Amino acid sequence: MTALDPQDRFLTLLEEHDKILYKVASSYCRNPEDRRDLIQEIVVQLWRSFGKFDDSYRFSTWMYRIAINVAISFYRSQSRRTRDTVPVEESILEIADPGAAETSDDIRLLHHFIGQLDELNRALMILYLDGNSYDTIAEILGISTTNVATKISRIKERLRRDFAGGGRMKGNDHGAARHEGPLERI
Amino acid sequence: MKDRWNEYDRKLDASLRLNTRVLREFGLNRVDSSLRRLTRLIVFELLMGLLAAVMLGSFIADHLGEMRFLAPAVALDLFVIYFIGWSIRQWMALNSLDYGESVVEIQRKLELLRIDRIRMTKWVFLLSPLLWIPLLIVSVEGLLGLDVYAILDTAWLVSNLVFGLAVIALALWVSRRYADRMQGSPLVRSLVNALADRSLNDATGFLGTLSNFEKVA
Repeated sequence: MTALDPQDRFLTLLEEHDKILYKVASSYCRNPEDRRDLIQEIVVQLWRSFGKFDDSYRFSTWMYRIAINVAISFYRSQSRRTRDTVPVEESILEIADPGAAETSDDIRLLHHFIGQLDELNRALMILYLDGNSYDTIAEILGISTTNVATKISRIKERLRRDFAGGGRMKGNDHGAARHEGPLERI
Repeated sequence: MKDRWNEYDRKLDASLRLNTRVLREFGLNRVDSSLRRLTRLIVFELLMGLLAAVMLGSFIADHLGEMRFLAPAVALDLFVIYFIGWSIRQWMALNSLDYGESVVEIQRKLELLRIDRIRMTKWVFLLSPLLWIPLLIVSVEGLLGLDVYAILDTAWLVSNLVFGLAVIALALWVSRRYADRMQGSPLVRSLVNALADRSLNDATGFLGTLSNFEKVA
């Protein structure tokens, strides 16, 4: 059996973890065009760094680090960057039914919550929601595990305080009932 | 909240597909990125600096005994040498960046790199009226073989310098007072924000945010 060439191996791993690309990009860019640009930036950076990837680490941990690093830089440069031409016209990441993944009010509300956080706490929240352990989150972000636990606890507290009534704001009993579920479980 | 995130995850599972065909056809190495554009810019700056250093070196060698040409050429050369050193430092810092490092570490390095560029932009602009006269003297003599001292009198050179300083003072005042209204063109925006210290304040503010993020309060 012949070994995969680096590009094929990279693309196979990328395909297995493509949701990370979309989740990170969606958390930092609501605009679809910016999101597409950001996904492209992340993929390019992943490929450029792939030579340094150490097989003894989990690919997802390494991918989160790069994706979040690129996303924060992209997000911070949004207001000051030049709108350069994008060489790849087709989208790297295709979604079968655009918007389908986010049609639910709850998911939209979730993105709204995440969007309220600053760029670093936003990264923390994505990693937490994606089921990463505190140790893994600490490793990705470069802070202590205790710090991760403290920050997550604070964010939960803040979300509970700021948004617990969010679902009821519409004055619709049905909507309130739907939003209370996830918020109560924060 | 985690339940909703998992629901989101399932929906993405069903609808998301990586377009590997585009990546294969286009070639991953050819896809552009902002980091590559910055690297190209730094390499261009470095090459321009090296070219200027060679030309100035040659000019200095040809005018060793003529202090009126030697002094402005040496002043320019010192600035160019500093600029080359700065470009090499930027290039090395950019090339040593490993995005696989922790988020806090990489963001700090990127922000320090940005602060370095903002400071350089500001200093080049502020020094430009002082460098303009030596540049005029050296380039007219070097390229056209004409002696600026003979063509233009000292009063003209001094008034030109004073005018340049006045323009810089005006630019600083305008950028601080009207920075909000001058955000249209990316180039103007970048210069205005650097002069008004907005970019620097933003970058140092983010460094503070990173430090606070590392602390367990």
